Amino acid sequence: MNFDTRKYVIIVFILTVGIIYTIRLFFMQVIDDTWTLRATEVSERRKQIVPPRGAIFDRFGTKVVSNRTYYNLMFVEDDIKHLDTAAFEKLLGWEKGDVKKRFKEIVIEQRTYRDKNDGYKVKPNYQSDRPYAFIKEMTLDEIAKIAPNLYKFPGFYEEITSMRSYTYPNGANIFGYITEVNEKEIEEDSYYRKGDNIGRAGIEKFYEKELRGQKGIKYIVTSARNNELKPYMGGKYDTIAKQGPNFRLGIDIKLQEYGEKLMQGKRGCIVAIEPSTGEILALVSSPTYDPNLLIGNRNIKKNYPKLILDKDMPLFPRPLAAEYPPGSIFKLLQSLIALQEGVITPESGFPCNKGLVGCHPGHTANNLPDAIKFSCNPYFYAVVRRILQQGKSKNVFADAEIGMNKWYDYMMAFGLGQKFDSDVTGLRPGLIPNSAYYNKWYGYHRWAFSTIRSNSIGQGEIKLTPLQMANVACIIANRGWYYTPHFVKSIGGKGSLPQFRKKHKCKIDRKNYDPVVEGMRRAVNEPGGTASRAKINNEQKIIVCGKTGTAQNPHGEDHAVFISFAPMDQPKIAIAVFIENAGFGGTWSAPVASLMMEKYLTRKVKDKEKEKRILEATFKN
Amino acid sequence: MRQGEKLTSHLDWPLLIIYFLFLIMGMATVYSTSLNPEHPNLFDYSQKYGKQIVWLGVSLFLGLLVFLIDSSVYRKFAVPIYLFTLVLLVAVLFMPPINGARAWLQLGGFGIQPAEFAKTGTALLLARYISSLNIKQQNLNSVLVANAIMLVPMVLILLQPDAGTFVVFTSFLFVMYREGLTYDPLVLKIVNLIPGIKFKQTWVGTHFIPIMFAVVFLCIVTLLLSNNTLTFDFLPGVKIPGFFGVIISLLIFCLIAFFFLRFNSSKRDRRRITTVILLAFILSTSIASSVNYLFQNLAEHQKDRIELVLGISKKDEKNGKDYNRNRAMAAVGSGGLFGKGYTNASVATIESNHVPESETDFIFCPYAEEWGFVGTFILIVMYMIMFFRIIMIAERQRSRFNRVYAYSVVMILFYHLAVNIGMNIGFAPVIGIPLPFFSYGGSSMMSFSVLIFVLLKLDSQRSHVLQ
Repeated sequence: MNFDTRKYVIIVFILTVGIIYTIRLFFMQVIDDTWTLRATEVSERRKQIVPPRGAIFDRFGTKVVSNRTYYNLMFVEDDIKHLDTAAFEKLLGWEKGDVKKRFKEIVIEQRTYRDKNDGYKVKPNYQSDRPYAFIKEMTLDEIAKIAPNLYKFPGFYEEITSMRSYTYPNGANIFGYITEVNEKEIEEDSYYRKGDNIGRAGIEKFYEKELRGQKGIKYIVTSARNNELKPYMGGKYDTIAKQGPNFRLGIDIKLQEYGEKLMQGKRGCIVAIEPSTGEILALVSSPTYDPNLLIGNRNIKKNYPKLILDKDMPLFPRPLAAEYPPGSIFKLLQSLIALQEGVITPESGFPCNKGLVGCHPGHTANNLPDAIKFSCNPYFYAVVRRILQQGKSKNVFADAEIGMNKWYDYMMAFGLGQKFDSDVTGLRPGLIPNSAYYNKWYGYHRWAFSTIRSNSIGQGEIKLTPLQMANVACIIANRGWYYTPHFVKSIGGKGSLPQFRKKHKCKIDRKNYDPVVEGMRRAVNEPGGTASRAKINNEQKIIVCGKTGTAQNPHGEDHAVFISFAPMDQPKIAIAVFIENAGFGGTWSAPVASLMMEKYLTRKVKDKEKEKRILEATFKN
Repeated sequence: MRQGEKLTSHLDWPLLIIYFLFLIMGMATVYSTSLNPEHPNLFDYSQKYGKQIVWLGVSLFLGLLVFLIDSSVYRKFAVPIYLFTLVLLVAVLFMPPINGARAWLQLGGFGIQPAEFAKTGTALLLARYISSLNIKQQNLNSVLVANAIMLVPMVLILLQPDAGTFVVFTSFLFVMYREGLTYDPLVLKIVNLIPGIKFKQTWVGTHFIPIMFAVVFLCIVTLLLSNNTLTFDFLPGVKIPGFFGVIISLLIFCLIAFFFLRFNSSKRDRRRITTVILLAFILSTSIASSVNYLFQNLAEHQKDRIELVLGISKKDEKNGKDYNRNRAMAAVGSGGLFGKGYTNASVATIESNHVPESETDFIFCPYAEEWGFVGTFILIVMYMIMFFRIIMIAERQRSRFNRVYAYSVVMILFYHLAVNIGMNIGFAPVIGIPLPFFSYGGSSMMSFSVLIFVLLKLDSQRSHVLQ
């Protein structure tokens, strides 16, 4: 018998297995991802390297917000062997039982989930093989006390983290603060992982995407016991963390510091802007707080509740969010509109008819600049009546509506009644009523000038934020245009955002500004002017132009308002000062503005007496 | 050796070269998977690769020694060699167990596994016995003796216990089959007991061995896939139950065989081939179906038992009973097309320890992870080339002794490959046997080398032997 054909059986047998194995390997290795994912799951750890946030400098290059290294005391439960809690508590300087409490707290902090694969049982997210922070954000001094003895407690180790550091205790409401991201933010932006920080307010919030930089990712091979072994594939897929770019602000930190000092004991705010650029030089909200109080989650936990419960509301950003009646400073805008509409000339005179509305005694306004100088209320009633009732319609109500719509368009062009497209976060729009507003309120054609006349002098429905008030000063200083007020001058040397480089024109011809500016000059510099306290007594003879305002406050003492700019020609600073419950604007707000302008323009204040008077004043209930 | 003949004349260079290629690849993989960055020197004898280098040297020395001995010696001393390995297998049973098995014989500082050398001994004796038979002499007696030669070491190995090597010994059944020693006499004995039946030969009895192995292979694959669903990345939404995958594979395989054989056979045979293939398809499909049906309808605890034996427990797959295989498959599968690169394995290294025994029984993992499908394809092709080369060598022997021995070698190597890679890709239960020429370990390296060098020697002197 010949068995030679049987060799083919064996050959086919071997070949079949070879082919089947090859096909199987092709499926497993090339086509099916399951095993690759499985390998990643068991043997890799994605480690994020969070870069320090971008540093922030003021307009003169002083570093105002930087980063400081802090230390997290981390632990992995599975690596802890026989923890001597008593010794550990002693090392940390904690009370007995605190360590146990902290462990429980960490498990609770991680929350729970419902396991789909296990009958929707509630299970903790906490995993004993993952690292968690036992103590967060310890300073170098704190960790230095612990670190030398940490080797006695296997499973615990230190991890470097970076937190903010502020050179000056000022500008808290400008910079904002950072805290840990919440669940919702993690869901919305895949950039964040639990424990990451995010800007919560101010510049930190608005420029979060730039300031946070770029995370680096390291892929690390882990062992079956979850130890880190080496970079995955020699670090081929790793990315390097990139710190956020340096920020240059328009803020002058010295001016900011001085402003906060002046506003001590007062409620209110100062907004100073460079008119030629729209850069905010100082933005004082008083009372304020030291930004160092909100560094790190431990500090925030301790200090935030105190700040939020403070009845003076230090966290409330008054310059952007407080909407006040502007008071008499509004007369400036009414004048501009009337001149543009041609309903008055600079030489127009109106009697100071106190029967119509109350006014300061002892003046007659024979022309517009004098009316501004004296802040004559009846004069501006007459002016605004002419704006609104231009006689375009025989029906007085329809006529008022036409006038009102025109007036409203001018107001919009001044940037009022709307939020600036700015990097200032938490802005409020203020309120500029239009005809629709009054139609709704009083009924269609059931209102005319006499119904809404208090708007003429900045009372009534009109509301402005102090930032808008300062911007009004800018517009007048520039004689007709403004840049959106903003904080950031340049990001990483690449200039500011494009919307800040767009000039906004204000529908008023250049020539119409002259009488208004002249009025503001007289108000400060001529005897009998309402704002004589705003004058800078300085050998350089800086001419200040300003306008006082007193915003009536139904709840108490009037608010003192003052806007101004200096010097009169080629202004370098425009400023709005608002002090709550301080009474007449010329008495308290004007000198504050004067001191601020002197400080900014000459870098020092010579008028110590004026300064002393302001520092000693308090206006709190 | 005849006068004036060079030692290397008639040496089969292709086999030797592929053997050396495997040694280099194996050494590289052992180095990569057990690399200790603090001792990167290949010749650092405190490390596994340093030790493996020593084993390589010893193996090559042994090979040379084997090669220097005249081929007639192996025939003459087949019985003493076989008995010597049996003595070692008995002796090892009195050793203290290591990892639950008495597989190691401690000689000084070294440990050797007699089971590895028993393969060579058995191969030689089987060759000696079969070559002594008349070619027509297949009877009950000869079948029983041949099986006994195989079974005695198998029983001793099972006592250790060493399931892997035990399974490998069944490879001799194929050798016997090739030489006409089948279970037909046994089957005839039983069948002819029935009054009125007087068969001279039964087809089932003759081809019992390849059929049995095909059925076993089919059953295992069916069981392994019966709980799975095949999904494809490039065909989203398409889900094929694993069982249908088996049926489809069978169909494709039968079709390929059909067309291949149809165009390579005489007209007379065509009808027969068609019938056989159709019958094979129907039979294999029904076997797969019944296995699948039985498995699906088993009680839960019975299912668990089978899964435990096969090592495919679904329960707590990630960290449970099937941990080893799951991690091994993860390592292999994560290699991708081109692999992660040499020394870049992340799952299958000794250091990471996700795949235990990644330098010995699971050495295919680091290789597959580092070289990807390209690497594994080349590896399987190389093994296929080696096997077919050995079959070619076997078939050119004039001596039946040489041929039986050569077939023993190829079947032993093939078994090691099939089971070892099978357990890395989920086709075989996890039973620890080394991958030839790759796995770390002295005994397997030496025994495989001796197997190959004896074959090379027999082949080089094939013209001397008349029988």
